[in-house]
Amino acid sequence: MATRQTRAIFPRDTGLQVRMLLTLFLLGLLYVALIGALLAAGTGLVLMVVIIGALSLGQLFFSDKLALSAMGAKEVSPAEAPGLHAMIERLCIQADLPKPRIAVADTHVPNAFACGRSQKSATVCATTGIMNVLSPSELEGVMAHELTHVKNRDVLIMTIASFFASLASIILQFGFFFGGGDDDDNPSILVVLLVSFVVYIVSFFLMLALSRYREFAADRGAAIITGRPSALSSALVKISGAMERVPTQDLRQAERLNAFFIVPTSVKGAVQTLFATHPPMEKRIARLQQLETQLQAAA
Amino acid sequence: MGFLDALLGGRGKRVKGAAPDRLFAMTTAQVTLDTGLGLKHKSAAGIVFQPLETADFDGIVKETEELLRAGAEDTGTAVESSADEYGYRWLIFRDPDFEDLVVALNTISTQLQESGYGDRLLAAVFPFEDKGQTVYFIYNFKRGAYYPFIPAPGEQARDSERELRLKAQVGAELPFEEDITRWFPLWEIPL
Repeated sequence: MATRQTRAIFPRDTGLQVRMLLTLFLLGLLYVALIGALLAAGTGLVLMVVIIGALSLGQLFFSDKLALSAMGAKEVSPAEAPGLHAMIERLCIQADLPKPRIAVADTHVPNAFACGRSQKSATVCATTGIMNVLSPSELEGVMAHELTHVKNRDVLIMTIASFFASLASIILQFGFFFGGGDDDDNPSILVVLLVSFVVYIVSFFLMLALSRYREFAADRGAAIITGRPSALSSALVKISGAMERVPTQDLRQAERLNAFFIVPTSVKGAVQTLFATHPPMEKRIARLQQLETQLQAAA
Repeated sequence: MGFLDALLGGRGKRVKGAAPDRLFAMTTAQVTLDTGLGLKHKSAAGIVFQPLETADFDGIVKETEELLRAGAEDTGTAVESSADEYGYRWLIFRDPDFEDLVVALNTISTQLQESGYGDRLLAAVFPFEDKGQTVYFIYNFKRGAYYPFIPAPGEQARDSERELRLKAQVGAELPFEEDITRWFPLWEIPL
């Protein structure tokens, strides 16, 4: 038995990676088209690129503080939340991550999110709701999911991915604002507007797709870190069930932070799949079930 | 984690298994700790891991435990198993011979690593006694490095000053964890 080769209990999810790569490729292609159009249009727009670049950078640096204060989350010390700290410390050893700051938001909405631009400046936040609803192993699954977001640098990647999309949207607003009139003699402005419009629409859906793929990756990472895919499944079921019962006021408050929530707070909606930042619950659970099967089959 | 890993949301690559000789570094360091600093080992050592709820994993742990128990007749190493409140499993070894303890830890860790469960291993723990206080040396399998952990009186308090002093004192003897943000505590160690 000692001769048994080291093997992977969870084989790679190549399909997911191919889709993610394809999405990134399409986004890149789209953005190259936008840059081309901008360059063709002249220098005035270059200044805009610089300004928006600075804004994005600012967003990257301050979004975590914004997110935390929007949720009314407070950083907690080990003395205030010893159990949560100890749980996350162990998960950090497992995931080989530095310990993030830990925050708690006092709301009934059972949710958790991660923010921060790098592994070192990350914060993970849990709501009091989620800590009350979930069992320790389920909570562990959820926190491992958030730590995987940190490990995969999802905040950074989504910010970079959305840079040109926000550029396109600003050009559109700018264009409509100054539209018509004198610009009619300059057809290149029209081209830029048209390209920006296409970039904005297409990148919107591509980014949502990318966000969903990263959720799958985070679920998978959580399963690998904890070795308990089913604990995360049951956490997802519990949260989604409880989400529908919570007061809507809190839901609205939480709306802005959807992107990094474990379950988006807007539960309803039929065209959800295409517009959702998170994959549907059933699909996430099906994937986790698959991982559990792989785990059980290992022999 | 490389650039591509970050871009693709982690490719599920195995964490590289720590070299076993790094675990064994404690055998020589223990002598320095004893003679140089007066830290006496408590004739015990433990390993903590995340148990998987699968037949295969259970089987491997049981098999290894039995192997170690059978070997105990020669080495005199006693084996205890316990679960903690975080859902982790501990295997505790007791033996006045320090080398036997390290060998026992190495047996279980290599067994898990060879069976593909290396990333379930959390840490190995060596308790020492220093004037009535317990000083732990924790070996992080993922990083292949040691760090000290000294719980202080009070809830979840630790004596960071002494931990840092210990690093200065024995840092050269052990593969030490250089990044002190990775000196994760382990509360309620059953040792």
